[in-house]
Amino acid sequence: MSTLPVVPRISVPRTLRLARWNAVLLTRNRLALTYAAALPLLPLALLLGGDRGDEALGAATIATTLTMALVFPVFYNVLSQFVTRRDELVLKRLRTGEARDAELLTALVLPGAVIAVVVALAAIPVAAAFGQDLPRNPLLYVVGVLACIALYAAFAFWTAAWTRNAEAAQLTSLPVILLAVGGQLSLALPEAAQRWAELTPGAALTGLVRVTWFGLDDGRTTSSLDLAATWGAAAPHLAVLVAWTVAAFALAARSLHWEPRV
Amino acid sequence: MTSPAIQVRGLRRSYGSGATAYEAVRGVDLDVPAGTLTALLGTNGAGKTSTMEVVEGLCSPSAGEVRVLGLDPVAARDQVRRRTGTLLQTSGFSGDLTVDETLRMWAGTLTAPRPLAEVVDLLRLGHRADVAVRALSGGERRRLDLACALMGRPEVLLLDEPTTGLDPESRRDVWALVRSLRDAGTTVLLTTHYLEEAEALADRLEIMHAGRIVRSGTAAEVVAGHPSHIRLRTTSAPAWLDELPAGRGVITDGGRTTVETDALQETLTALLVRAGAEGLRLDDLEARHASLESVFLAIADGTHPATTTTTTPEPEAALR
Repeated sequence: MSTLPVVPRISVPRTLRLARWNAVLLTRNRLALTYAAALPLLPLALLLGGDRGDEALGAATIATTLTMALVFPVFYNVLSQFVTRRDELVLKRLRTGEARDAELLTALVLPGAVIAVVVALAAIPVAAAFGQDLPRNPLLYVVGVLACIALYAAFAFWTAAWTRNAEAAQLTSLPVILLAVGGQLSLALPEAAQRWAELTPGAALTGLVRVTWFGLDDGRTTSSLDLAATWGAAAPHLAVLVAWTVAAFALAARSLHWEPRV
Repeated sequence: MTSPAIQVRGLRRSYGSGATAYEAVRGVDLDVPAGTLTALLGTNGAGKTSTMEVVEGLCSPSAGEVRVLGLDPVAARDQVRRRTGTLLQTSGFSGDLTVDETLRMWAGTLTAPRPLAEVVDLLRLGHRADVAVRALSGGERRRLDLACALMGRPEVLLLDEPTTGLDPESRRDVWALVRSLRDAGTTVLLTTHYLEEAEALADRLEIMHAGRIVRSGTAAEVVAGHPSHIRLRTTSAPAWLDELPAGRGVITDGGRTTVETDALQETLTALLVRAGAEGLRLDDLEARHASLESVFLAIADGTHPATTTTTTPEPEAALR
């Protein structure tokens, strides 16, 4: 069993070179590539159907898009790549060389992380083309996306620890996927459950998108926050995300397994 | 004498915990002097790979100490890895990359990789450069693995069953390559269950059984002290077989009789003279010096004296 060092030392060039080969491998797997690159862009089409400038619809669409960009290219992709490479003994082989553990892990995350960031940024002009506002607080919007990438990557490594093989990932990925989409489903839940659902990372992301992009305060359907007010309104959502990220890193560090499960 | 390139002291390694705990390595001491080749021999499950993984720095020992080039391979991972090359028991590659891509990927992880062309030539992989790894034969895959292990010009080479699954010709090629590396000053620790391989390559043998090293030394030293055998078949074994000069004992098993001796020629001569004088007919007569194989089989069967003791065996201490 290995633990992640608290402050991992990383050679950036080596990590990028490894990440490049992980990207090459991703492109050689049609299905994985479709999941990782095409699926996250689909929800943007929802903007077609609504009224131009409908902020509530815009927020829901962007939140769904980001959720997809985090669940598939980051979480599911990292999970299945890690499990596959682990089971092929590729990771064990690499660990006998100079590459450090943190570099191997970062390199596995990077291709999906880049896709998620590209989707998050591409959503801006696409939404603008459909009559939506530009993000009110772009900095916080990007910070939120990056925090979520770290969170779902850590969740992927934790899930991998109890995923027997790449096929089993279809099932073992469900708990985290539920946490990710929980925010969107919360309206369908009874009121008592809704309060808890708001503490899921999915709900935190939705809240963050509403505040940082559209200036939508809790429960409102029209914009009411100016830039200055977004910082405070975003804080609880960010706090939820940071708490989940810390927990996910702790879980991942404790459970990280480099060898196939027997 | 400089300090050994690999030094292992009191190494123990356990798996699991509580009632299911299993100790695969039970107190191994091992020195591999710089520029020499040591073969770690043993049957499956003897603890060879478990020992190797600690030397490779893939995991920490449950107890004991390992030094590679004077450094702890886990704590000083960065420094040690730059100077070692490892071949795991099972190759680990992505089937979707080609041979060339795999080598480039590996080179990309190294501080000072050899030129790719040089490694490709060394392992005769040139004609397979553009083939996906999943389409390689077992032997080609092993050569690719070896190419990665050699790419950083390692001072210490750790090879876990390097020739398992290779055809005889490829095996000889790997032997020649490993020998040339050793001659050029590389320290090599390899595991194998091919006795022939150990005899052909190793300066020193370490024979493992049930988590311990039970015999070590050069091939001659390992065999020394082990009895030669005379096997024969007679209708009834005469009592005088016990009294032959230099004889160590007689074992009868069905119609088959084995005489153990420390001086094969002397015992055999006496046996033949006496049998001739008495008109005793000896069928299936067979005389054999102690060989690495007979020592190894005795260890694997548990009939070797060192395998039945629980403390550090005497013969081993005497050879050190």
